[in-house]
Amino acid sequence: MADRSLSGRLGRLRGRTGAAGPSAETGVADSDAKVRAGTMVKASFADRVQRLMGGPAVRPRREPDESALSEALGAERIAPGVLVLDRTLDARIRHGALPLSRFVPDADPGPRQPLAEMSLRPDVSDGEDLRSPAVFLDTETSGLAGGTGTWAFLTGVLRVEGDGWRLSQYLLARLDAEPAYLEAVRQALAGAGTLVTYNGRAFDAPLLSTRFRLAGLSDPLRDLHHLDLLGPARRAFGRVWPDCRLATAESRLLRFVREGDLPGSEAPAAWLGWLRNGDPGPLGGVLRHNRWDLLSLAGLMPALARSFENPESMGADIHAVASFHQSRGREDVAWRLLESGRARLGAQALLDLARLHRRRGGWASARAIWESLVHGGDERARLALAKYHEHRTRDLTLALELARGLPSGPDRERRCERLRGKLAGVGVNADGDIELDGRMGLD
Amino acid sequence: MPGTSKPGSSARHGESASLPVERLRSRLLAKYGARITASQTQPAIEASWNDLPPDLAPALGSALRARGLERLYSHQRAAWDLARSGRHLVVATPTASGKTLCYNLPVLQSVLTEGRKALYIFPTKALAQDQVAELMELGRALTEAGGEGIRAFTFDGDTPGDARKAVRTRGDIVVSNPDMLHQAILPHHTKWAQFFEGLAYVVVDELHSYRGVFGSHVANVFRRLRRICRFYGVEPTFIFASATIANPAELAGRLCGAPVQAILESGAPQGERHLLLWNPPVINPDLGIRASARSQSTRIARMAAKLGLKAIVFARSRLMVEVVTKYLKDVFDRDPRNPPRVLAYRGGYLPSERRRGEQAMRAGKVDLVVATSALELGVDIGALDVAILNGYPGTVAATWQRLGRAGRRLRPSLGVLVASSDPLDQYLVRHPEFLFGASPEQARIHPDQLLILLDHVRCAAFELPFRDGERFGEEDLGEMLAYLRDEGLVQHQGARWYWVADSYPANAVSLRSVAEGNFLVIDTTEGAQTIIAEVDYGSAPGTLYEGAIYMVQSQPYQVERLDWVGRKAFVTRTRADYYTDAIDYTRLKILDRFEGREQGRGAVANGEVHLVRRYPGYKKIRYYSHDNVGYGKIALPDQEMHTTSVWWQADPAVLEAVLPDRQRAIEGFLGAAYALHHVAALRVMAELRDLGRAVGDAQGTWFAVVGGDGRGQMRGPDNEPLEAEGAGRFEPTLFLYDNYPGGVGLSAPLYDDARRLLGDARDLVAGCACQGGCPACVGPILAGDEHLASTPRQTALAVLELLT
Repeated sequence: MADRSLSGRLGRLRGRTGAAGPSAETGVADSDAKVRAGTMVKASFADRVQRLMGGPAVRPRREPDESALSEALGAERIAPGVLVLDRTLDARIRHGALPLSRFVPDADPGPRQPLAEMSLRPDVSDGEDLRSPAVFLDTETSGLAGGTGTWAFLTGVLRVEGDGWRLSQYLLARLDAEPAYLEAVRQALAGAGTLVTYNGRAFDAPLLSTRFRLAGLSDPLRDLHHLDLLGPARRAFGRVWPDCRLATAESRLLRFVREGDLPGSEAPAAWLGWLRNGDPGPLGGVLRHNRWDLLSLAGLMPALARSFENPESMGADIHAVASFHQSRGREDVAWRLLESGRARLGAQALLDLARLHRRRGGWASARAIWESLVHGGDERARLALAKYHEHRTRDLTLALELARGLPSGPDRERRCERLRGKLAGVGVNADGDIELDGRMGLD
Repeated sequence: MPGTSKPGSSARHGESASLPVERLRSRLLAKYGARITASQTQPAIEASWNDLPPDLAPALGSALRARGLERLYSHQRAAWDLARSGRHLVVATPTASGKTLCYNLPVLQSVLTEGRKALYIFPTKALAQDQVAELMELGRALTEAGGEGIRAFTFDGDTPGDARKAVRTRGDIVVSNPDMLHQAILPHHTKWAQFFEGLAYVVVDELHSYRGVFGSHVANVFRRLRRICRFYGVEPTFIFASATIANPAELAGRLCGAPVQAILESGAPQGERHLLLWNPPVINPDLGIRASARSQSTRIARMAAKLGLKAIVFARSRLMVEVVTKYLKDVFDRDPRNPPRVLAYRGGYLPSERRRGEQAMRAGKVDLVVATSALELGVDIGALDVAILNGYPGTVAATWQRLGRAGRRLRPSLGVLVASSDPLDQYLVRHPEFLFGASPEQARIHPDQLLILLDHVRCAAFELPFRDGERFGEEDLGEMLAYLRDEGLVQHQGARWYWVADSYPANAVSLRSVAEGNFLVIDTTEGAQTIIAEVDYGSAPGTLYEGAIYMVQSQPYQVERLDWVGRKAFVTRTRADYYTDAIDYTRLKILDRFEGREQGRGAVANGEVHLVRRYPGYKKIRYYSHDNVGYGKIALPDQEMHTTSVWWQADPAVLEAVLPDRQRAIEGFLGAAYALHHVAALRVMAELRDLGRAVGDAQGTWFAVVGGDGRGQMRGPDNEPLEAEGAGRFEPTLFLYDNYPGGVGLSAPLYDDARRLLGDARDLVAGCACQGGCPACVGPILAGDEHLASTPRQTALAVLELLT
């Protein structure tokens, strides 16, 4: 009777009846129906096959040969299924238009302050500065889906060593070798002060943590400081660049253009090809892609630090950077950045600048900004200027005239009424605005 | 907290309220005695109490006492004893018997005294949110009693990303649903490591809703959950709560894969409860047409409100809620200056609107509530006196849940079930024992259904590598993994099977359907591209063909284009005055007979069948008049399916003797199939569409349909009409089949129960109020056929007699 094997039963359940199917046996289905049924079923099956493997099922042609793979990659096999490619790089190596700077360990803490503030510190008492040494990390994975079924099959680590750099890449060549592979990654991270990644907080770090957890190993990332450069990049360039992908950042800030790069999206297929068919083919390209990622990380860190020190010189969003400094209590820095980049500021940034002027007692500068903005029809500047004339210059007529131009509503009515009262000599009523402006006057 | 009312105060209350309920009941009986097919009075039941457990955490004890709870009902205490000794249990006691406390108490104890955690699973998001509100209240009582608070969070699709971490790491009790467990929690279990390591209890409320396809999926999700728990070194105790069904312990045991103790005796007190079964009067005796259920329900509701009683009307659709509400508001809420006395409550309203409604109900401001099943479960709305069911809700369990809405707090209550003209309803009002006797409903699941199982083997392999020799379900796991290896999804290395594909399998598996994926309905009116509905694969060909009218919230849309491969239907809003009904015909061939026996003057068997369904066209039917106003063609591929089925055949010689006219025999089989289909759905707690019916011969050489002229017709394999009176062998076979690929376990129990089913079907047809047959027994008949010498009803009855 019917095929009782699992695949036979599955095939029938899915309507994949084929030549031995029941309709053919008995000639129940007319040919027309069969053709139509067949096309439908075949389409969905072909879909499946294509989605799953990009072709018909292929069993491994040969047992993956790790020594051939290490030879092809120039890597060393440190344990069964674990390959390492180690490279020492000269201190003056160029990446893109710039030599890689060893800024991180050397520079004084000032410029790296913003980065330190944007890094994740498991314990807030850990201090304000970036903890040294910085270790750059980037992984290649079996997919972007995340979750426990996604592997980080390649982990690249870049760190300063001696006068130069050391770049180590760990490749998982056998699935059951993951514990040894993870142990090697752990050792590569030993002594790290801050982990530096690009989008690592959302992707690489949780993925590695998951792998350690699944292997029953303690998680070396848990207590590390973590600086995800995507954060500072988004803050300084989010409104300037079309997107904040690493490729965009490196081409804009480092003028690094990849030639012949294997796109990151092809990495999963390259690794799966090796696992399934023992085909080392594109894995070399994956390793190179990963190396470039790491070098870009090392290049981007000082470039981003500079972007927060001098946004204008880096083409960063001056207002966003100034706002960041201000949110961290560095009002002087914010004021200096806005003032020097004034020609390039939008209305909101100018309002912020006027507010900073006002708080520093720079009334004339503040007034000049408000007046130019009112001229351009800005309601917020009109309100600020009305307050200014009411409480500062006491030019109540001008204040009233400005207030009349505010958007209609109870606020405008109250303000105008109060000003009319003052003008009529009724005296000051106790309105919230006065207290606020009173304080403002003391600024 | 249900079941926590103080006996003293409610008894007093009860006396004062008993008069109007009694008055309403006797008035209904006196005035409408002919419409009431059965009545029952369940006497008041005294509470059965037990002491609070001696080892109860002091803060928990104080919190309970502060809410007036000095003792527990006996079933609450029994649940405590089992749960605290780590035994899986199911509590299946009536609505409002304090089931929630059965699980909250042991869970809170373990949170407070052992720092352990619990996972609560509810079938829907809304129920989960209600539960968290209740837990928060208990938490407040705990802190007021000087204890530590508890942290209970919902985790569902609405939980914002930045709050999820707090839920995972800080929640003592996480309240979620099976879909989230399946798609978000298990595939990311390492993020939940802390939670899993502390997990002591898994609470599954509304157990009875986990049946059929959904239940079969959820049983596999729980297999995965227990597997992950073992990885973290815990074996949580499962606590189930269920409405009354025939097999709660069996269902719970199948769901969690371990023996489960059942607690069936409620210790909660209950006021006297009167029940009436109501059949609307026949207004056209020839055609068996009855007055609408709606007209009867509104009448009863009006009478209740005029006697000062608070009543709830349950309707089966959102549309019907709005209609009934309008009719009642026209009577009671004519003056807009007065606060409304009638309130509608259904899904689709905004949560804030629903919360406002619930508050108004609890505060007693509303006299009449009109609701869908959205109000059936969990939601506390305070005391009501009368529950009116506008139509049979589909299962006995749901019927009791809704009737249980009236009569909280020991007051006497009245429940009225008003039958619609559906065969199920008509059967039920004539068979009160079905409702009043021990629950006849078996909730069935089939977790080892191959496609469902394989889906979850994929998900499980993604979550943790399988070890050689591990088990997952009843099939050979090694064979399944080898199959997945050949698909390129897993790889075997060093005695383990590792997931290696670049995909997230849980996203491709919907717990509410079998394989294949849903169709999206996209509204393209005025150039928009809005998704307005999702239709499961199985229903798509019959509802989303080009030209079909598809209704959402009673707004008709017309299908302009169906992208079969892309699983999308593009629709536009329309004002059509007709709806559409697909014509389909099904050809079945028996592949494998698992078992069979002689029955009556024929035989019954069950086994595997191959089914081809074709949709040649559709009818356009005008609203209200139900005139057929046109036909359209459907161009869709045939749907093929292998599934399980039960089938009946009559001895050809006897059939020939009883019904020599083959044409009439075919119509008799079609009518018998119609009746059997309906009573079978009732018996296995299934929706009508979960089961299919067909009449043909066992080899698939011919099948029978009701043709365009309303007559039964024999068709050949290519749908060509065949002459019934031929020389060939004539052995009509009546099939009821599982309407899902591979089946979900509905046909085996039908086979076991075949004799009773036939008896039920015979009673349905024999007891119908119509003359010659009607939609309430054998299906629609042609005008004039009731005057035939042998009516369609008699013919169907003859067939049923042969098979019994």
